[in-house]
Amino acid sequence: MSSVQSLAPVRPNFLKLLLGSPIIGPVAALLIASIFFAVMSPRFLSGPNFSLILQQVMVVGVLAIGQTLIIITTGIDLSNGMVMALSGVLIASFAAQKGLNPFLAILIGLLVAMAFGLLNGGLVTGIGLPAFIVTLGTMNIAYALTRIYTTSTITNLPKELTFLGDTFNLGGTAIANGTILMLFLYAITWFVMKYTPAGRSVYAVGDNVEAARLAGINTKRVLLGVYTFAGLAYGIAALLQVARTGVGDPQAGQTSNLDSITAVVLGGTSLFGGRGSIVGTLIGALIVGVFRNGLQLLGVESTYQVLITGILVIAAVSVDQLTHRK
Amino acid sequence: MGGAMTTPNQGRVLLEMKGIGKTFPGVKALEGVNLTVREGQVHALLGENGAGKSTLIKILSGAYTRDEGEILFDGKPADIKAPADAEELGISTIYQEFNLTPNMTIAENIFLGHLPTKAGRVDWAKVKQRSRELLDSLDVSLSVDTLTGSLSVAKQQMVEIAKALNRNTRILVMDEPSAVLGERDIENLFSVVRRLQASGIGIVYISHRLKEIFELADEVTVLKDGRYVDTKPVAGVTMDELVKLMIGRDLEDVYPKRRGEAGEVVLEVSHLAQTHLARDVSFQLRAGEIIGFAGITGSGRTEVARVIFGADRATAGEMTLHGLPYRPRSPRDAINHGVALVSEDRKREGLLLKLQVYFNTTVSGLDRLTSFGVIRLKDEMTLVRKWIKALRIKTPSPEFMVVNMSGGNQQKVVLARWLSLGIKVFILDEPTRGIDVGSKSEIYQIMADLAEQGVAIIMISSELPEVLGMSDRVMVMREGKMVKELSRAEASEEAVMLYAVGHEEAVS
Repeated sequence: MSSVQSLAPVRPNFLKLLLGSPIIGPVAALLIASIFFAVMSPRFLSGPNFSLILQQVMVVGVLAIGQTLIIITTGIDLSNGMVMALSGVLIASFAAQKGLNPFLAILIGLLVAMAFGLLNGGLVTGIGLPAFIVTLGTMNIAYALTRIYTTSTITNLPKELTFLGDTFNLGGTAIANGTILMLFLYAITWFVMKYTPAGRSVYAVGDNVEAARLAGINTKRVLLGVYTFAGLAYGIAALLQVARTGVGDPQAGQTSNLDSITAVVLGGTSLFGGRGSIVGTLIGALIVGVFRNGLQLLGVESTYQVLITGILVIAAVSVDQLTHRK
Repeated sequence: MGGAMTTPNQGRVLLEMKGIGKTFPGVKALEGVNLTVREGQVHALLGENGAGKSTLIKILSGAYTRDEGEILFDGKPADIKAPADAEELGISTIYQEFNLTPNMTIAENIFLGHLPTKAGRVDWAKVKQRSRELLDSLDVSLSVDTLTGSLSVAKQQMVEIAKALNRNTRILVMDEPSAVLGERDIENLFSVVRRLQASGIGIVYISHRLKEIFELADEVTVLKDGRYVDTKPVAGVTMDELVKLMIGRDLEDVYPKRRGEAGEVVLEVSHLAQTHLARDVSFQLRAGEIIGFAGITGSGRTEVARVIFGADRATAGEMTLHGLPYRPRSPRDAINHGVALVSEDRKREGLLLKLQVYFNTTVSGLDRLTSFGVIRLKDEMTLVRKWIKALRIKTPSPEFMVVNMSGGNQQKVVLARWLSLGIKVFILDEPTRGIDVGSKSEIYQIMADLAEQGVAIIMISSELPEVLGMSDRVMVMREGKMVKELSRAEASEEAVMLYAVGHEEAVS
């Protein structure tokens, strides 16, 4: 289900629904990529590999939730990877080095990430600065603050912080707790976007801020809410990053902003705002994950993986532009 | 018509389009359309928005190719497949959006793409001389070296005409040329058209304004819903008959009959100001009343409307609503007080264009459709379908994107949004701009019904017939001030214009 597009009480058959849905493109791309890698590498279609993909995807997947909402409002967030790194380092440090209750440490990490979101949103709405410039600035601020705080990796984390990286067995495949959390966050966000006035407001503001204001929407509050919620998502992503790697890493998230934008764009959300789907982003994140994983299995160097991701994102935006040009 | 040997309706036939048809994916845009244009004739092309006028002239100018029918030029079959083919035959088209390059001079624009050369270099002397001659023939006294970007719309139009004449035009198609002009420029345009006509050029003239057609045209062809209706000599037809041909209904029916009984004062505005754009505006609005705000563009009407709707803050003055102080802080605040605004710019301010009909309809009233924070989608759809039906909104489904709808249907979606909220004060700013005659009369009927139900209505409009046809009282604004209130009996086009432009202007 994309955005809010399929609400008719009359349900045509499933195939028709799928073909008419904007996520048909991303789903097809995911299938084609999966078939390609399955043919090229026998290891691709195995349970352990699947579980690996899902674990690799969860951090970018959660970052991309925030990125999706921001892009729907015609914004963009370059700061998310750095905010995540700062938040992760603080969580790890407070819990492992300062002896704080791990849950209190997590709360601090989430609040710092939300504060960055609020700052981004405040500058975008209050002064009317372009999101690109604001988040370019806060990206560097978060990066510097992280480096000022520490340049070394924080280890010996309490088990509360690594719980989300632990796995359980589901039909022979090891599923990480964090993957479940990610799917849960997607489900909640999907529900809010589709079934609540708040979700509608996000689309309205993305389509046309002034028309939304004249329709009675408090557009500034919506934008502040979106950026702050995105900050919360980055904080949760930080927790997942810490849990998955088992360390607080000041070097984390270096390419996360582009990875999350790639996921959002591959998922069919328009960079021109007003149109997009959270489910599409999940599929977009999976496409990114499948590509990274598949290329690894084929022994492609990581630099070339980045190269291919770059090509992928430009191709996806071009398709969006060409199909929606009027 | 003038002293020529033959009247324009008997002149030699230049162009014949017969049985023209054009299909776009899913839409039959034209079917069986005929058009015959003679030398020295002004042939009006009439029809509502979406009747197929634009498609027809795009086929004539080579922008589209026809799927059916034949075109004869000078009695010989002409296969127009590209703009160059039309140009070759001597068919020029002046669209509403001009085709001028603003950073080039008048002369350069006139010769754009056709610059004459002498010994391999552009013959500028010839370019300038010929441009001068063309401008003189149109009574335009500008220097040919003026940049077109600095010209008024009326002068740019003249440059377009000069450009067409420079190409030995035999048929000139003009798409609503008067729509962008003021009264005086229209007079000038008419005299130019008559001169072109006298020189033997056949003119296809598209206009919504019936008055112009009677003033200017020799023959008129009416289209409706992509089909050919009839061709008549203008001398043998009345305005009412033309409207009937165009919309299939009588002119008197356009403005609904109203009882016009006003109730209690709902909104009182005193000494309201919004920066320098609106100053010292005072009036009362009663339940069940429609008051018209007349005045030229920029007279402050829209500014007053936006303050009442909370879109802008007042810089001075007071308002009361139902006797209580009213100072809306935001559009939301105004909506919660039962005040709504239909903005003059539907596409930029009224609609969320790339979202669906249902989304646009309920966006302002979702709180009523929400339980425990969740939108009741079924109730929402029921409500939306009800309004689609009530306002006869033409849409394949509630999920249709409004950007793909006609102007009239888009405006109905805006109306549905506010009507579903049970609004008490309704401000409509140019509610019928860019809307065809049929939808216009439907919108008038909706307004009349609302007034009947006790809604207080302010209608801002620059179309005088509409202001006079709909309003119980007319308030005239000029330069930010409310200059005159006219009762229905006092209000005539002349009286309103007199106050709208100021005495000195009106007398001259």
